[in-house]
Order: sequence, then C-alpha cells, then structure tokens
Amino acid sequence: MLDFLTRDMLAVIWFFLWCVIWGVYFIVDSFSLGAGLLTPFIAADKVQRIQIQKSVGPFWGGNEVWLILAAGGTFAAFPLVFSKMFTFLYLPMMLLLIGLIARGISVEYLHKDDSPKIQNVLMWGWFVGSLLISLVLGVAFANFFKGLEIAAGGVYEGTLLGLFGPYALIGGILFVLISVTSGALWIKVKTEGALATKAGDTAKKSTIVVLVLSLVYLAYSFVGIEGFTANYSATPVLYALPAIAVIAPILAVVFAKQEKAFMAFCCNLGTILFIVESGLVSIYPNMLKSSVALEYGIDVFEAASSQMTLSIMLGGALVFVPIVILYQLWVYTLFKEKIKETEQVDY
Amino acid sequence: MVELLLLSRLQFALTVAFHFLFVPLTLGLALLVAGMETVYYKNKDETWRKMADFWGRIFKINFAIGLVTGLAMTFQFGTNWGAYSEFMGDVFGPPLAVEALLAFFLEGTFFGAWIFLDRNRQKLKAFSMWMVALGTNISALWIITANGFMQNPVGYEMAVDGSKVIMTDFIALLTNSYVWYMLVHTLLSAYLLTAFLIMGICAYHFLKKNNNEVFRKSFSIAVIVALVTAVMLPVLGHGYAQYVVEIQPAKGAAMDAVWETGSSVPMYLIQVPDASTGSNSIELLGIPGFASFLYTGSFSGTITGLNQLPQDELPPVGMVFWSFKLMTMLGFLFIAEALAGLYLQKSGKLYMSDKYLKLLMWSIPLPYIAITAGWIVAEVGRQPWIVYGLLKTANGISSVPISDVLVSILLISGFYLALIVFEIYLIKKTVVNAIGVE
Ligand code: HDD
Ligand code: HEM
Ligand code: HEM
Repeated sequence: MLDFLTRDMLAVIWFFLWCVIWGVYFIVDSFSLGAGLLTPFIAADKVQRIQIQKSVGPFWGGNEVWLILAAGGTFAAFPLVFSKMFTFLYLPMMLLLIGLIARGISVEYLHKDDSPKIQNVLMWGWFVGSLLISLVLGVAFANFFKGLEIAAGGVYEGTLLGLFGPYALIGGILFVLISVTSGALWIKVKTEGALATKAGDTAKKSTIVVLVLSLVYLAYSFVGIEGFTANYSATPVLYALPAIAVIAPILAVVFAKQEKAFMAFCCNLGTILFIVESGLVSIYPNMLKSSVALEYGIDVFEAASSQMTLSIMLGGALVFVPIVILYQLWVYTLFKEKIKETEQVDY
Repeated sequence: MVELLLLSRLQFALTVAFHFLFVPLTLGLALLVAGMETVYYKNKDETWRKMADFWGRIFKINFAIGLVTGLAMTFQFGTNWGAYSEFMGDVFGPPLAVEALLAFFLEGTFFGAWIFLDRNRQKLKAFSMWMVALGTNISALWIITANGFMQNPVGYEMAVDGSKVIMTDFIALLTNSYVWYMLVHTLLSAYLLTAFLIMGICAYHFLKKNNNEVFRKSFSIAVIVALVTAVMLPVLGHGYAQYVVEIQPAKGAAMDAVWETGSSVPMYLIQVPDASTGSNSIELLGIPGFASFLYTGSFSGTITGLNQLPQDELPPVGMVFWSFKLMTMLGFLFIAEALAGLYLQKSGKLYMSDKYLKLLMWSIPLPYIAITAGWIVAEVGRQPWIVYGLLKTANGISSVPISDVLVSILLISGFYLALIVFEIYLIKKTVVNAIGVE
C-alpha cells in the first residue's frame, strides 16, 4: 500500500499528522477541562452544576479519545519516542493518568448519588482532575519545546524538579488558563440564565490574562529558548504560526467584550492550536529535543516505524479520521439547543 | 533489577486485571441494552423501556471505570514497558492506533450521545447504543490481535540488528489463528459473565418477592445466553487448549502439570504439582488416557512433559495449573447452574426455589474469577517470554527508578480501591432500590 512513498517521506508525513492530532486533542479537550476547573467557582447550586454537566457531558468522552489516538499514534508511528517520552517523564505521566481517571469518574458519577457530600467530593474531583491534566500537559509540552536533558547515548539526566523551570511553569499556567477561558466561553454559548452571564463575565477577564500570558510565553520561546528559532530562520513562512497565535487572543478579548461568545470561543481555540504548533515546528526534525546538545535528541527518522507500518496507518488515518470527525460533528448538532435552568434530571 | 522487574510485572498484572473486571460486562451489556432500546423503539412497551433504563444504568456505572482504566494500560506500555514498546512498536502500534480510530471513537462519542438523548428521540438513542456495542466489540478484536502476536508471532521479520520486530504482513497478523481462538473465547466468556450477573440480580429481586415483569423478562433472556455460552466455552475451549499445546508446549504441559513425556497420559481428578521435585506430590483417581485425549484428540496421543522441555523456559507451573483447574471447574458449574435455571423456569418453580436463587446471587463473582484465572493461564503461562520465543519479559522493562514504580503502584492501587468501593456501592444502590424500574 502507498508503495511510492519512502519510509523517510512517510516519517515526515506522520510527523505532520502527529502535530495535527495533538493539536486537535488540545483544542477539543480544552472546554471540558475548563468546565471542570470552573464548576466549583461559578455554579451557584445543583441546578447550575447540572447545566454545566449537560453542556460537556455528551462530548468529553469522545474528545478524550483524541488523546488515546495521540498516544497510540505515537506508539505506532514512532515507538522510540513513545517509549522515551513516557519513561523519561514517568512520574508526570502517572500524575496525568491519575488526573484523567479522576476527571472521567467524577464527570460520569457527579449526580449518580443524591448525597450532597458525595456530589461535593466529585465536583472537586472533577476540578483536581482537570487541573492535573491541563497543568501536566502544559508543563510537559513546554519541556518538549525547550528540550529534555538527554545526554550522550540517550541517557536521561533530568529530574522531576528540573521539569518545573520558569518556562515550563508559564506553559503550564497558560494551558490551565486557556482551558478556563475555553470552558467559560463554551458555557456562555451553551447555557441560558444567570450561569451564562457569570461565565461571560469570567471570560471577559480571562481572555485578557490569556493574551498577556501568550505574549510572554511566545516572547520567552523566541528569545530565551535555545534552538527555537532555527527552523523559523530557515523557513520564514513559519512565522505565520506564531503571528496567528498573537492575533487570535487579541481577537478573543475583543469578541468577549462585545459578548460575541462563539466568535471569542473560536479565537481562543485558535490561540491553543497555534501556540502548540509554533512549538512543535520548532523542534523538527527532532521529536524529543535534547537541551544538553542538539545532536543527542531523537529525530523523526530514527524513531519512525517501518515503511509498511507507516503506510498502512496512513491509509487507515486518511479513511477513518474524516469519518470520525464527521460523526463527532454530527453529535454536536444533536445537542445544539441551549441548556435551560429548569431542566432537573440526574445524570 | 530483579525488584524492578517484579514491581513492573506486579503493576501491569494489577492494572490489567482491574481493567478486565469491567470490560466483560461492558461487552455483554452493550449488546443487550442496545437490543432493549430497539425493542422499545419498535413496540413502545413500557416494560422494555424500564429494562433499558435499569440495565442501562448499570452499564453506565460500569462503563465509566472500564474507560478510565483502559488509559492506564496504554500509558504503561510506555512508562513501564519501554524496551518492549520499542521492540514491538512496529507490530503492536498499528492495532492499538486502529483500535482508537475504529473502536474507541465510536464508543466514546456515542456513549455520551446515548446518555444525554432523551426518550422522545428513541430512534437515535437506540442507534447510539448500537454504535457503542459495535465499538466495544471491535475493540476486543484489535487488542487481542496484539496479544495474539505476543502469544504466537506471525507476519514479521527481525530487524537486521535484532533490536526489534518489523511487520511484513498485516493480513497475517489478523488471520493469526491464535487471535480467533482467543477472541471467540473471550467474547463468549464476557457474555456468560453478563448473563450470570443479570440472573444474580434478578434472583435477588425474586427472593424479595419482587416478581416484576422487568426481572422476569430479563431472567428469561439471560438464562438462555448463560446456557449457550456455558456449553460453548468448554466445547470450544477444548479446541483452544489443543491449539495452545501445539503452539506453546510448556504452557500446555503446565496447564495439566504433565512432567514426563508419554503417551496415554491419564488425567487425575486430584493432583498437586510440586515444581521443586519436578513431579506431582499427589496423584489420585486417574482417568486413563484422558489428558492425552484432551490435548491431542486421541487416547494414546503423546504429550511432551515439562521435564523434557528447556528448563530455563518454563512458566511458574503451580500458578498456571491451579488457574486452569479453577477456570475449567467453574466452567462445568456454570453449565449446571444454567441448566437448572432453565428447568426451574420452564416448570414454573423458579420463584419459589429460594436455595437456587441464593446460589445465583452468590454466583455473580464466579465468572469474574474464571476470567481472571483464564488470563493468568494465558499470560503467566507464556512466561518467561513477553513475546513468545522472541523477547524475554526481563528484557522488556523500562529502566526507571524503583522508587518511581513503587510510588505509582501505591498511588494507582489506592485509587483503584476507592473506585471499586464506590462502584459497588452505586451498583448495589441501583439494584436494591431498583432505580429505573419503578
Ligand atoms: C467465564 C469464563 C471462562 C470459562 C468458563 C472458561 N474460560 Fe477459558 N479463558 C477465559 C475464560 C473462561 C478467558 C479469561 O477469557 C481466557 C483468557 C485468554 C482467553 O483467550 O480467554 C481463557 C483462556 C483459556 C485458555 C488459555 C489460552 C491461552 O493460553 O492463550 C485455555 C486453554 C482455555 N481458556 C480453555 C478453557 C476450557 C477447556 C474451558 C472449559 C471449561 C474454559 N476455558 C472455560
Ligand atoms: C489482550 C490484551 C493484553 C495484552 C496486550 C497484554 C500484555 C501483557 C504484557 C505486556 C504483560 C507484561 C509482561 C509480562 O509480565 O509478561 C502482561 C502480563 C500479564 N497480563 Fe496481560 N495483556 C493483555 C490482557 C490481559 C488481561 C485481560 C489480563 C487479566 C485479566 C492479563 C493478565 C496478565 C497478568 C496476570 C500478567 C502478569 C504475568 C507475569 O508477569 O507473570 N492480561 N500482559
Ligand atoms: C493491555 C491491553 C489493553 C489496553 C492498552 C487497553 C486500552 C484501553 C483504553 C485506552 C480504553 C479506553 C477507551 C475509551 O476511552 O473509550 C479501553 C477500554 C476498553 N477496553 Fe481495553 N485495553 C486493554 C485490554 C483489553 C482487553 C483484553 C479487552 C477485551 C478483550 C479490552 C476491551 C476494552 C473495551 C470493551 C473497552 C471499552 C469499554 C469500557 O469502558 O469498559 N481491553 N481499553
């Protein structure tokens, strides 16, 4: 299948797809994470909590599969990267896992029991889970862009504490707040009543914070991170990515102010996508960049699977990813009505 | 190194066994609930709506945990089995990625849709549940394709430097006989577990004299499923066992603790293997030639004994042996229980047979035990190989600090304990209050 493509060409195509899949995951999960982060603070009572739960409930499970696809796709296309990425970051990955479990169970079980105590625990479980997921992923990806401490012979010399440098912390906080913004705008779009108003007010403030943080983060990347600009200097069109990543949050602030929540929501997703992609293109051809010396990194060609595996998977992805996107969009249209305050069903 | 290996194995065994406590019920209930939703859509009979509501609620509670614990499995291949992942990635990656693409997206997306669609959109609701059922059942195929390769590698070549396997034939991966034996056996056992769970819950209500139409109908469906799957498991399991003996002689010999090569090997009803002496310390009530018959199809067939196989490639015999015994014994108990259930129901004595109903209630955990035992046969029996004949388990682990693994085991175990307590509480509450039935 697809025999005219060499392994190296396929490796490059898969690097591109890899960037796309991670980008999609960050986008689609951001609003369910944000909803979890916001619930304890903006839901005044059970009615409003159910509104929030109903606004993300039908979608979060399907969205999370993009993360599984990203992990599974890394395993299949770049086994070496899969192995090293999870091994080097063993404890952060375990925290991510705990976050994913806590989030999933809390959303699903939120109102399965009538006891207000249990509901309260689960609400905070949802919050902590969402916080762990967004923080760990933000920190992890900032570290990928900065480079891990990979020494000669692929030996990892990093420590847990070393992962939490200033750049990584800004990345982590940025991703938490971008998710909060996504969640606030989504709730504003999907619900009616006092909750929607409160969410809109939150978004007005958080879009501004996101704008400031994105600017700091991008400036830090280009000025303070070694090797970040190499690909940009070689291929200047790439500057379009960070350029959009600057424009999008500005527009988000404006639209949020004008109460155009849906437009602001889309712009905020743009911020996420283009910040992630700006970082990912900077590390190519590495997939795991080394901060010790550039040549110690693990690059696309070294990590890629065989021609056959890559081509079978490319065929599979070309057929099924569009199908998945179509039926996921279709499910969004099934639940397009705004969620009112009066509906009182337990989920 | 030894401790690290041990801990990594312990962690994997714990998490996968935990994942598989929830998977079988998902596989079975998804199909049944989809059926109930469809019947209700067709005939608008309230009984069927209540059935879909009640069993659907149990499905929801169970599915959520199956879903999140599956993530732990995916992660661990990278975190704890890094060397294995690098070795197997070319072959294992595609089934896993295709599983996400074909199966997880379907189940994840439509599970949400099914929960939140209300009854005035019944057609869509039923359709969504069918998609979930389709997704979950396809998911089993792909993960078992990966496991099938680990048990019986096909369609690959070794890299020139011997560092990894390279896929040469994707179709061969899928047509691997091991995969199909395993898939059919696993699906059947999942449906059996589902049927026994339903029968047990119905029995509880019959005992409380709550002979609601919902439980009576559910019972009559479940008892048929239970009988069919209970009979098919040993019948097909017998063929499976013969196949396993052929592919992995050491596992085969360990399943029945056959130490010395011989023909017309008897099967002992009471037998205690002792690995330290390489023989059975107790052998009583032998049925002449029966082990030969089970393994080779002929009473005079030859079985290779454990003592005649390479000694450094033997699995832990006791664990494999006892797990296999447990699974097969339970298999016959299930047939008896299902037959009794059908008889009592047909003769109208079911609702008065308190002893039988109590037995059914207490039988709910048994299929779980049988299934875990079966997996122990399959996975521990494969030791010391992680990929049979190609990679030893000891060479598959990640080199991470032991303390990290220890921390993660404690963290995960604590978390899982809380999860299972909470889930049992929720299911019990649903059952006792019959939420959805009134
Ligand atoms: C309700 C559960 C259940 C029951 C009653 C049985 N099995 Fe089973 N068995 C399983 C559930 C299971 C399982 C958990 O699903 C396994 C693990 C791997 C697999 O394919 O299925 C398994 C594995 C398994 C294996 C190991 C295969 C391998 O190493 O890959 C063999 C040989 C058998 N079974 C044979 C039997 C026989 C002869 C049975 C007759 C009574 C039987 N099983 C009943
Ligand atoms: C079909 C998907 C599965 C795959 C790909 C798989 C893969 C693996 C791997 C990689 C290991 C670790 C290496 C080793 O110790 O040999 C392992 C061990 C193990 N697995 Fe599986 N497994 C699967 C299903 C299961 C299930 C469903 C169960 C139990 C319910 C199970 C039970 C075990 C046990 C008990 C071990 C530990 C064996 C030992 O270390 O002695 N497996 N499996
Ligand atoms: C060790 C190997 C395994 C891995 C890596 C794995 C991975 C996963 C993942 C990531 C999920 C979550 C999917 C989602 O979010 O929708 C999941 C759920 C599921 N897995 Fe596994 N799994 C393993 C073993 C098995 C086995 C042996 C089977 C069946 C024979 C199985 C069947 C399922 C099913 C049916 C679900 C969805 C249903 C539920 O949530 O209960 N898995 N698995």
